[in-house]
Amino acid sequence: MRIVNPTFGQSPAGAETLKSGAVDWAKDPILLFSNSKPNARELLEGLKGRFAGIRSTDGIDFVWKPSASQPASAEQIDGAARRYKAALLALGD
Amino acid sequence: MNDKIESEYVEVGDIDTEAWNEFAQAQGWSDGLPMIAPTEAKVARFTSAVVADNETFAPISPRQVVPTLQSLAANAVMAGCKPEYFPVVLAGLRAVLQPEYNLHGTLATTHPCGQLMLVSGPIRNAVDINCGSNCLGQGRRANAAIGRALQLILLNVGGARPGDMDRATHGSPAKFAYCFGENEEASPFPPYHVRKGFAASDSVVTAMAAEAPHNINDHASNTGEGLITTIAGTMSQVGANNVYLQGPCFVVLGPEHAQTMARDGWTAETIQEALYERSKVHVSRISRENLESWAGQDRHPVADHYYPASSPQHINLVVAGGPGKHSLYIPSFGNTAAASSRINLPR
Amino acid sequence: MAAYVIATETFRPLVLAQAKARKVEPRLIVVKHPVGGLNAAELEDRIETAWQAIRGFMK
Repeated sequence: MRIVNPTFGQSPAGAETLKSGAVDWAKDPILLFSNSKPNARELLEGLKGRFAGIRSTDGIDFVWKPSASQPASAEQIDGAARRYKAALLALGD
Repeated sequence: MNDKIESEYVEVGDIDTEAWNEFAQAQGWSDGLPMIAPTEAKVARFTSAVVADNETFAPISPRQVVPTLQSLAANAVMAGCKPEYFPVVLAGLRAVLQPEYNLHGTLATTHPCGQLMLVSGPIRNAVDINCGSNCLGQGRRANAAIGRALQLILLNVGGARPGDMDRATHGSPAKFAYCFGENEEASPFPPYHVRKGFAASDSVVTAMAAEAPHNINDHASNTGEGLITTIAGTMSQVGANNVYLQGPCFVVLGPEHAQTMARDGWTAETIQEALYERSKVHVSRISRENLESWAGQDRHPVADHYYPASSPQHINLVVAGGPGKHSLYIPSFGNTAAASSRINLPR
Repeated sequence: MAAYVIATETFRPLVLAQAKARKVEPRLIVVKHPVGGLNAAELEDRIETAWQAIRGFMK
């Protein structure tokens, strides 16, 4: 018996794997990105405190999604990609 | 839809029904219940039922792949659909793929939401969708198979596998199949889809990421005012996503409750307005930590109350079910929409 | 931009699957579940685990 694969789907056009470069954690601008669940922000603030031991915390910014149940907007993601070398995304589940 | 129909085939050998189901379970294709094997011949009968449907589909979350008619039909076959149900299934998929529905969020969440499908218009009777007694329960093939088909599509094409991309803490029986029809014949109000701007002759699927229904029992109230009090009281919950996030909900009026309200002069619109205002939750019922969390998100009470719906219009009112003094409240995931899609029927 | 995702062990499969679906190379920092519902002292353990993982990426 031959069946139709119920999981088949086509990849959207232009879906190639993205790669990113190395990060200088002591100097590069870093974004702390919270998914807006309880304690995600607190976790990232704790990490910001740790970073203070190895660099100035200038250049470390904090953003959060408008709601835990909605994806970040394309503008928010594009803006982050333009301005920061690294992002730490915390999922507070 | 793609110009070329494309699909993959799997050779499963000369196996019987039991062995097929063992195979499908092992692949992770099943919701746990037995399924019909989607042979090429069966799938072809389904795709020929929607041959005039040329609308494209967006990629399905969370896997982000574009479905083909054949892979969608394979899931409808497995769910136990008849070919004539397939246009309803596709309209349901198009509804949940509307951006404001937030499909990805509704599938990956820990919240126990299933994809509710409300069917309005002439197709209800044409394919025998139950709109009356036990319309959200067991017993009618169209309701069960159409609702199940959408869930299987999201599982198999979308990749929303329980414990993997579907992270529901408990899940819900609503995630097996959650499809019912509007009881337009017993309703004193214009049909839901007409109130949303569709023509009465249109057949429409409206989807919402929804919790299982919460019952509203009221045998004693014999006035519209009394029923509004009971329904609003049921909606006024702490702990449901609606109070955290607002968004839409459904209120499914049993025909007897609806008739009482209409007799007393209530319209669909005045019911929505009254429920919106009277379902608000006083801050004294909400934990200090939640109040602090919401304030941190710049969400503040209005005159010491939080509203569980974004507006009166977000309280989607529909009449369904059979005899009895019961109505239903169906909270949503919150950040979702009651998204409607017209069913493309062969001419 | 390099994205590092801090997730609990319970949500690791979701993050990996989503990263794959979105054609992103996942750089995952896994901490003990849960994060939500912890008090400040309990959360400190998660912060330290995440920090040590970040230190690992610095090498």
